[in-house]
Amino acid sequence: MKTKTFLTLITATILSLHVEAKPLSYVGGLMLMQENDETGHTGSFDYTFIPTNAFGFYAKQEENGKEILMLTPEFNTLLKRWNLPDGQGNIFNMSGAGLARYHDNNQPCLWTAFLADYESRRWFLSYEPRFVWDGNIEKSVWQRARIGIAPYLANYNDLNTWLMFQVDHHPAKHDHFVATPLLRFFYKGYLFEIGYQSNQHIMVNWQIQF
Amino acid sequence: MKKHVLTFAIMFALTAAVSADTIKATVNGMVCGFCATAIEKTFKKQPEVSTVNVDLKDRLVTVTTKRGQTLDDSKVKRLLTNSGYSVASINRAK
Repeated sequence: MKTKTFLTLITATILSLHVEAKPLSYVGGLMLMQENDETGHTGSFDYTFIPTNAFGFYAKQEENGKEILMLTPEFNTLLKRWNLPDGQGNIFNMSGAGLARYHDNNQPCLWTAFLADYESRRWFLSYEPRFVWDGNIEKSVWQRARIGIAPYLANYNDLNTWLMFQVDHHPAKHDHFVATPLLRFFYKGYLFEIGYQSNQHIMVNWQIQF
Repeated sequence: MKKHVLTFAIMFALTAAVSADTIKATVNGMVCGFCATAIEKTFKKQPEVSTVNVDLKDRLVTVTTKRGQTLDDSKVKRLLTNSGYSVASINRAK
């Protein structure tokens, strides 16, 4: 009983890792990310080894549909970056291949996602389509878009605040469209997000850069 | 008098030689404080660096080196590129 409880706690902790943000850090940098929302609990832990690539571990416990557990290594690539005087645009690819588990059915799985974003000190825009193949359990396509505005222009040593609005479309889930107004806060290498989703879930995300 | 001038010149030269560099780099793409943490962490790992200051408003990264040490422009550019940004200009002061 104690062992099972302990393992459940450890698993829950690991699986509650992930956040919707840039999938790359700086060379030699580590990122721990977490996302908890109506799609489930997602997490990743990445190491950026060159400016355009990071390697890590990805885990997701799906909810609001088939409760699939996915465990994969993750490979993130910066495909294109535009460094502008007043903004930055990026296109990333994130991919993984590993194991999916649904009840007692273990299957190989593959997933790949593209993330396009543009950010200035005032505005934030992103779009992410994601393709998931969980063997004979499920094949799904999922997409997410975000828009954000900073109510004040914070400098580096200030607490940065963003008002954001996110729309998810995931046909494999019970709720195909979900809208989420959210608040994003960050201070130096710490990021935290909280939102309330249209299907009455509370979204809580966080990310730490080491 | 000549001796004093010579002493002063030598002292001045030695002081200049061991003084710290202040490097001001104007950076493109540096709009997010969370991401700019990368710059601070990357530069602080360098043994030559004493302090790092990031100013998002002016897109400026100011690096002060330790006394008698410096970072050349190519290294500054490489470190900023590794952090995810590109360099618009670099200015130096002793």
